[in-house]
Amino acid sequence: MAQKRPAEARSDKLFYYALIPFASTAFLIILLTLFVLTAKGLPALEFYGLKVLTSTRWLPNEFDPEKAVYGLLPAIAGTLVTAIIAVVIALPLSLSLTVLVEELAPSRVRDILSSLVDVMAGMPTIVYGVWGIGFLAPILAPIYSGLQSTLGSLPLFSCEPTGGFSILTAGLLLAIMIIPFIFAVVKEAYRAIPATYREAALSLGMTRYEYTRLLMGMIKPAIIAGVLLGFGRAASETVAVALVVGNAFNLPLCIIGPGITVSSLIANQFGEANLYPLMQNVLYLGGLVLLVLGLASNFLGILMLTRVRVRV
Amino acid sequence: MRIVIIGITLIAVLAIAVFILLTAGGGEGEVRLVGSGSTFIYPQLQAWIQAFTQANSNILIEYTPTGSGAGQAQMLVDKTVDFAGSDPPLTRDQYEKYKGQVVQIPVILGAVAVVYNIPGVNELRLNGEVLALIYLGEIEYWDDPRITELNPGVNLPHERIVAIHRSDSSGTTHVFTLFLSKASNGAWPQDLVGKSIEWRVDATGRGVGAKGNQGVAQAVQATEFSLGYVEYSYALGAGLKMAYIENAAGEFLQPTPESIQAAARAALPAMPDSPAGDWSGVLDAVVYAEGEGVYPITSFSFLIFWTEYPQDKAEAVKKFVNFILNEGDNYIVEGYVVVPDEVKEINRKAVELIRTG
Repeated sequence: MAQKRPAEARSDKLFYYALIPFASTAFLIILLTLFVLTAKGLPALEFYGLKVLTSTRWLPNEFDPEKAVYGLLPAIAGTLVTAIIAVVIALPLSLSLTVLVEELAPSRVRDILSSLVDVMAGMPTIVYGVWGIGFLAPILAPIYSGLQSTLGSLPLFSCEPTGGFSILTAGLLLAIMIIPFIFAVVKEAYRAIPATYREAALSLGMTRYEYTRLLMGMIKPAIIAGVLLGFGRAASETVAVALVVGNAFNLPLCIIGPGITVSSLIANQFGEANLYPLMQNVLYLGGLVLLVLGLASNFLGILMLTRVRVRV
Repeated sequence: MRIVIIGITLIAVLAIAVFILLTAGGGEGEVRLVGSGSTFIYPQLQAWIQAFTQANSNILIEYTPTGSGAGQAQMLVDKTVDFAGSDPPLTRDQYEKYKGQVVQIPVILGAVAVVYNIPGVNELRLNGEVLALIYLGEIEYWDDPRITELNPGVNLPHERIVAIHRSDSSGTTHVFTLFLSKASNGAWPQDLVGKSIEWRVDATGRGVGAKGNQGVAQAVQATEFSLGYVEYSYALGAGLKMAYIENAAGEFLQPTPESIQAAARAALPAMPDSPAGDWSGVLDAVVYAEGEGVYPITSFSFLIFWTEYPQDKAEAVKKFVNFILNEGDNYIVEGYVVVPDEVKEINRKAVELIRTG
């Protein structure tokens, strides 16, 4: 482009140079975050060893770090389990929503639905949290009691539910929160499928179901990308989860009982953590685990997205 | 393309200009005091600051509720704020370190209310031992004989108790667990006293953590057959049912301004005679204090100032402290309780202790 229009080449270059400081700031901030989390997290790892990642107890001690026990395992496991529940629930819902919006709904309904979902994505997470604590948790409590009395022999539903605050409630709330993200990714890819494929499929006399399956198969990488981005989003959500997960320091073996996640642990404890020797470092280490988890799932997701762009 | 470059340059210049303007500081003769700390004291302090700065428009006071521990650290260690709000007084070690340099003024009283949600039950009596056993996970049902024994004539249901506690580190938890250890005949272990502890009831699946007083109040409201502890003002604000708690004299009392003030009076012997003295023992003295009419889960909240400030700040601090001590009672927020006159007498000495340095 610069060669074709030499008159604009200089100002074009200047423009790009002008953008460099802004663009690199964002990148530097991520690097800096990674650096700070590592630098602050390492002392905890040095002092407590791997136990800090594998212990299941949280016994703070204000005076003697030797007597304190900090284990991040229940929180890390809680983060993974809530995010997995969220994705498992949100995926079929987002896919059906895509088909509904793109194929079945009349164009006016389709626009309304699309913008409604956009509003869902932009809602402050505390709104979801307050809705979760005031509405979702109370209506789920009797359902959990039912689950426990019928499926109580399965370890997942073996515990006595405590008023709806649980790993499963957090997972459900997260599912609702990540639907717009998965939907946005899948919808874009779905729209990008060329009309010739669609016409070919229909002219072969495929049923609606066969047709949908074929198209979904074509955008599989986008679906996986949506899942990974949604997973990263769910794993990092803080406020809403802290309100409904129950914040009990238990491994998430029984999903209808209370548990804890890394982000809710940090949100809960960070305020006064400086009073406890090394507790802050342990929380930074938890933050590092979250960041690595988030970076990995986002990186994989974006990798998948570039694959779908190449394919379609 | 040029327009874009000019646009970006303009925005950058504007941003820098705004930044410089914002950091350049306020007008002439204006004094700015910055404080941080206790979240409990925040609504009350805010009311005082508002009333005070209306009358003294050249003084600007900002307070950020970061938590008692953070406030202490920001004032004493980082020196980024001028004063701190703190629910616990300085510990003995801290006091030795800053002796003569700081004054601690107990400006307001608070109490921890035990709140519950049992449909149909409107009067519930509990004592330290039963509360300890509930939070240890050893008492499971509301109709446990150890509870019904305290509540003759009350029809308690055979339902599991959901024990709700703070999930964040909190002075409220410290006061509550200190009460449990003092009032439970040894049932509550000493190493489970603190701002952030290991809740044994969690392991039974009946414990739930919630963030902040607000969170606990909401969780109790949303959960039938639950029990929790919150600051008195939040219990009032949320309209929750408060339990009658047995005090050291064997009476069952709810928190009221009278019973809370009675606790403060009962702790007088443990208090130093000046805000410059050692207040570290006062929390231990006021929780489960001996005496009649005393609500047993009561605590103080302190404002901590340096004894020396630059001249303009010293004047402003003195004015503000004077205002709280002399006119503060006119601006009490619901749920907060003023300190009794005996404590006010001690507090008045603070004004002479603060000087220009």
